[in-house]
Amino acid sequence: MSEATTHSAGPANQPQENPGIPMQFRSIWQSWTGRIFALREDQFFLLLAVLIGIFSGLAVVCFRVAIEWTQLELLGPSLSPSVARVLLAPVIGGLVVAVLVLRVFPSSQGSGVNRTKAAVYIWDGYVPFETVIGKFVTCAIAIGSGQSLGPEDPSLQMGAGIASKIGRSLNLSQEKIRLIAPVGAAAGLAAAFNAPISAVLFVIEEVIGVWSGGVLGAIVLAAVSSVVTMRSFLGADSLFRVPELRVVRAQDLLAYAALGLVAGGAAIAFLKWIAYARPRIERLPYWTKYIQPAAAGFLIGCIGIRFPQVMGAGYSIIDQALHGQFSWNLLLVLAALKILATGISFLSGTPGGMFAPVLFIGAMMGGAVGTIEQHFFTGLSGSIGTFALVGMGTFFAGFLRIPITSVFMVIELSGNYTAILPVMISTMVAYFISRQFQKVPLFDMLARQDGLVLPSIEEQRDQVAPVVEKAMERGAALVFSPSDPIATVLSRSESKPDAPLLLQHRREWRLLDRATVKKLSEDKSRTYTAADADGKGPLPILFPDLTLEEALQVVEDWPILPVVNRADLAKLEGVITLADILRAFRNTRPE
Amino acid sequence: MVLAQNSAEGSSSARASRGFSRELVLVVCFLCLIVLLGVTAFVSRMYHRRVHSLADHWFEQGETAFKSGDAKKALMDYRNALAFSPSNKMFQFHLALALAADNQLPEARAYLLPLLSDAPGSGEINLALARIAAKQSKMQDAMLYYNGAIYGEWDTQPIEMRWNVRKELCDFLLDSGAIMQAEPALIALADSTPEGDLGKEKTVASMLLKGQLWSRALDEFKAVLQSDRGNPDALQGAGVASFQLGDYARAVSYLSRLPKDQPVDPQVAAMLQTARQIESTNPFLTGLSVNEKAHRAFTALSLAEARAQSCIAHSAQSGAPASASADLSRHLASAQDQERNWSERNLARFPDRVDDAMTLVFRIENSAARLCGDPTGADQAIWIIGHNMGYTQP
Repeated sequence: MSEATTHSAGPANQPQENPGIPMQFRSIWQSWTGRIFALREDQFFLLLAVLIGIFSGLAVVCFRVAIEWTQLELLGPSLSPSVARVLLAPVIGGLVVAVLVLRVFPSSQGSGVNRTKAAVYIWDGYVPFETVIGKFVTCAIAIGSGQSLGPEDPSLQMGAGIASKIGRSLNLSQEKIRLIAPVGAAAGLAAAFNAPISAVLFVIEEVIGVWSGGVLGAIVLAAVSSVVTMRSFLGADSLFRVPELRVVRAQDLLAYAALGLVAGGAAIAFLKWIAYARPRIERLPYWTKYIQPAAAGFLIGCIGIRFPQVMGAGYSIIDQALHGQFSWNLLLVLAALKILATGISFLSGTPGGMFAPVLFIGAMMGGAVGTIEQHFFTGLSGSIGTFALVGMGTFFAGFLRIPITSVFMVIELSGNYTAILPVMISTMVAYFISRQFQKVPLFDMLARQDGLVLPSIEEQRDQVAPVVEKAMERGAALVFSPSDPIATVLSRSESKPDAPLLLQHRREWRLLDRATVKKLSEDKSRTYTAADADGKGPLPILFPDLTLEEALQVVEDWPILPVVNRADLAKLEGVITLADILRAFRNTRPE
Repeated sequence: MVLAQNSAEGSSSARASRGFSRELVLVVCFLCLIVLLGVTAFVSRMYHRRVHSLADHWFEQGETAFKSGDAKKALMDYRNALAFSPSNKMFQFHLALALAADNQLPEARAYLLPLLSDAPGSGEINLALARIAAKQSKMQDAMLYYNGAIYGEWDTQPIEMRWNVRKELCDFLLDSGAIMQAEPALIALADSTPEGDLGKEKTVASMLLKGQLWSRALDEFKAVLQSDRGNPDALQGAGVASFQLGDYARAVSYLSRLPKDQPVDPQVAAMLQTARQIESTNPFLTGLSVNEKAHRAFTALSLAEARAQSCIAHSAQSGAPASASADLSRHLASAQDQERNWSERNLARFPDRVDDAMTLVFRIENSAARLCGDPTGADQAIWIIGHNMGYTQP
């Protein structure tokens, strides 16, 4: 805030006199800049979020066009490209991408989500602008040439890079620069997904981890403005058309729970494979990095000769699955091959995201499970499209471990709440299976393999903060009212020589000094009450549900603090000391 | 290594940016935004132009393939077109038609339903959905969508299109054996048929005939014959309708006018023969002399007795129990008992006996039909006369 005030008021920043500029224009300029820079930094940050959203939206539009154009040039305009194109395009694309990534844009390697998290937690909000260009170019070539990767993760990182660049250029405070990368990330993801709610939730659920009011507004504004920008160029249509959904009966939910089991199992298999293979591939000689994307491209091309559906992001194929255009066995084959192709692409170090492939796998798996279930249980009410849609969210939740985003993504993409119950059931089943058999979530695992020690949002969510109730001592203190005779105070205090003496008057608490009490009781010149003992205070009060961290902030130099009931501030629940707090912290070490 | 590199770059970048005022940076930002907007607009326009031309190219190929009857190729081409223009409703509609032609009915329906919710009054979409429902034998859905198409909007030749849809609905109902449901549709079709259009009148008349609306069919055929007296289809239809209405003389009149040099439907030929036999054996025709009436009744009685005897014998040979032919035997015995009373001479002398004799004849034919199957030839003619008089149920 102070920075903004300085900028607006400082004479050094006033526009220089220029006789060539008309007076009217100059006064408008001064009025405009004056208003902008008179804003508090929080307000300025919100304004900036809109600007970041527009920039990110434009970047994503260009990125998507670049991918499509590359695909047109390399794979041709048909959904069934020729064998030569299918084999050569990913190989040539892989070679080019490898050279670009290793020689020109080394910062474009790795997961965009983790890089954005690293910007928040390690690099003070810094995301190099070369990353934006690098991700744009390399991912457009990689995805356009048929590698089984998606544009969402790169878009997220591009948004973060743009935001970081703008934030740094405007000399925002360190705190804001650190927060600006997630704002850009939300904008980039929202534009790529055409789903602002999911993008906001993802960034909160996976990148920041907290619902902070200060940044939430900026994230929402950035996401909305980027989606509006993107839609004005590419249209408001969803990435795929969602068919008519049927209302599900209560007993049908079991069928969706079964889908959750299958998707959860598949997600585990996929995660385990990546966890096992990635470090081993990383250990290969450095020169192999030049041919790994091309080799991956060759393998994907081989798959693509028979099943071209697995190449690229695959949104049009998801669309077909949602409309029940594939038989169950083809759906299963496509799901399995997409896992294989995506794993190969990802492990080869080809830049690109896994969101779109994960949605693809989920849709195929959902469609296949739905068809098989409907074969055996003819009374099932959901259409194949409903199963495919739910499958997308389910596999997404099982693989990426972001259940809330997954549920809302399905609702946002489908545009109605009909599928809410099935998607909640199956998503939770898949999520818990994934958690049970794979302790570390994907993004945390990748970060650790890359040597980045980033906070695990899932672990943070799981942590139960120790509370005052666990540390306080009940019934340890003696409570007196101001009218109590000092003799009574003395006699009761002598019966409990270690107990703190608390004086309670209305909602105020004070700590009585034993020596003072004794001194007053020995003075027989007049009759003293507890009020005359001149207790130390008023003491700050605590509540049993407050965290120990919050208690630490108020304990300061007070020897003891009362813990009172929220409904009745005159009712003492217990007392707590600094030693109690520290002991409780020691006893609640993480597993 | 990347981490260290990024940190170093971060600090140097931060240092460099400190030299500029916020105003300047914001102005640069807005200039960049304007440039980026221009670039994005240019790039997206170029891209959309390319994509639209590709979409149109694939769509044209799809149209050519579909018109040549190659639904599978058309399907691929339409899919390619839609890949470039996913929200194009015309492409979606044509893909749905190709899918339906390739018998991929649920998928075709999946494409059409959202289109219908966007344009519920579209005749074309309703018709496509009706055809899918008809192929899936979903009678209620088909009728709903056919009616939607009949009362829907058509861009070109709405009257013609509505008539065609009505005809298609009638065809579907008649082919499905839903004669009851077909009746109002056929009447509406006949009412909407323009006068003087011989082709349509003939078509409607044939459909009315198929729908067993004999009288309406006869009227339509008569209308055709007024314009084209020798039209063989109309003559045949009118003959059949007259036959079904029990007007055998008129049936004979129409059917005998059929051109001799053209092959005649065997069923129609049999109908003509039956009609002639009915005309020659029916004792109840007006204008017959007493003697002729008696002669016809006596002949019918003789034929019935012969049919009963042969039927009883055949039944006994096939090992059927005697109780099965008890009725027939009883009727035959009655006929034989009345042999003297119902001689040709006595029937001529006492014309009131003709009714009783013929009643017994019809009973014999009815019982024989139940025991030995439908009669043929002259027996059939007598049986039909009895049916028309309410004695038998053919």
